[in-house]
Amino acid sequence: MAILVEIPPPLREAAGGNVHIQVTGTTVGEALTDLIRQHPALGTKLFDNGQLRPYINVFVNDEDIRYLEELQTPIQDGTTIALIPAVAGG
Amino acid sequence: MQTTDPLERYSRQMRLPGIGKAGQERLLASRVTLCGCGALGTVLANALVRAGVGFVRIVDRDFVEPSNLQRQVLFDETDIAENLPKAEAAARKLRQINSTVTIEPIVADINRSNIEDLCHDVDLILDGSDNFELRYLINDLAIKLSKPWVYAGAVGSEGMSMTIVPGQTPCLRCVFEAAPAPGEAGTCETAGVLGPAVGVIANFQAAEALKILSGNLAAINRDLLVLNLWDNIIRRVRIAPLAGRKGKCPCCALRRFEWLEGEHGTQTTTLCGRNAVQVSHRRSSRLDFETLAQSLRTSGSVTYNKFLLKFQLNENGEFYEFTVFPDGRAIIKGTSEPDKARILYARYVGY
Ligand SMILES: [Zn+2]
Repeated sequence: MAILVEIPPPLREAAGGNVHIQVTGTTVGEALTDLIRQHPALGTKLFDNGQLRPYINVFVNDEDIRYLEELQTPIQDGTTIALIPAVAGG
Repeated sequence: MQTTDPLERYSRQMRLPGIGKAGQERLLASRVTLCGCGALGTVLANALVRAGVGFVRIVDRDFVEPSNLQRQVLFDETDIAENLPKAEAAARKLRQINSTVTIEPIVADINRSNIEDLCHDVDLILDGSDNFELRYLINDLAIKLSKPWVYAGAVGSEGMSMTIVPGQTPCLRCVFEAAPAPGEAGTCETAGVLGPAVGVIANFQAAEALKILSGNLAAINRDLLVLNLWDNIIRRVRIAPLAGRKGKCPCCALRRFEWLEGEHGTQTTTLCGRNAVQVSHRRSSRLDFETLAQSLRTSGSVTYNKFLLKFQLNENGEFYEFTVFPDGRAIIKGTSEPDKARILYARYVGY
């Protein structure tokens, strides 16, 4: 078991082309810090002056961190963190 | 049709327990405005007209082009040869499919000055658009008039949809506070689009529409549906607790309709005698030229420095040159028509 971050298509180039990336941490914030340590190009894609960009939604096991504990939301082995930006086209 | 019972054509649909004769009669009496008739819109219109939705207003600003046929299911080569607007081409096809419902094609760019006229007399608004500017505008109007609407978007092999019922569910801004910056999310032109992905997500929207219009509000999807047909990802994420975002959603909680009132969005100015149009887009952060350049390289040639980005494009034999500034403003050379410039901006810069 591990913590997996699911990378949406627009961010994959900055994530080495990966769909899933294994990370470590006990909170969502720590997991994202580890993700950016592995793929530094994701840094500015996800954060702007330390704040999550408003169009990137973060879901922990399909629950939105904005009604949990935001970046302090606790996670454990087996958690999937999905980064979900709005999809524009059509 | 060789039948005496006008409901016979809907017999298989009426057999569904949730619909029945009463539900079918509600569908026949219902009215919808479809905002945009591209990939999502053609699939939606097809499903609604076949299902017997009594009045469908189809609003689209564009013409049928060869690159549409891969996924925009109502169009064919004849429509291109006749140079038909999408709304008219769709109406012609739909009337052959079902001559017993009313189809009202309108060739127009939907904006804050006409959206209320286009939507005030319908039961449901459907998003068949390709940009977030229009979606936030629909969201503002739907909340203001308390009408349900169904959002969907599709790019690449990915799609997403959510159903908005004012007062019952989160609105678009509760979930997506802001749209991705130009160049950051990809558009169907820069990232491509898989026909089946947009077909699946639009049919999902259509099912939501049929639930709402047939009086089955309890059956709607209250999650955000996200799927990626290529990566085999299907996700339903829970968004219900975001409703009103603790009383601070500018739209559904504070009832500030910023898009409807023109505090956001795109303005165009024709640059006289230069065959060019300036498109201004209000945005809070500066454009990242590196990201934008990356997404545009598949469509044309791009160069940039600290101050501006140049993008040259040959689209169906027409040449355009975009000069984009860090604040999101662009001068598009090669057209003097504001509508065309807005379309190009939405298509390539992506808003
Ligand atoms: Zn809201």
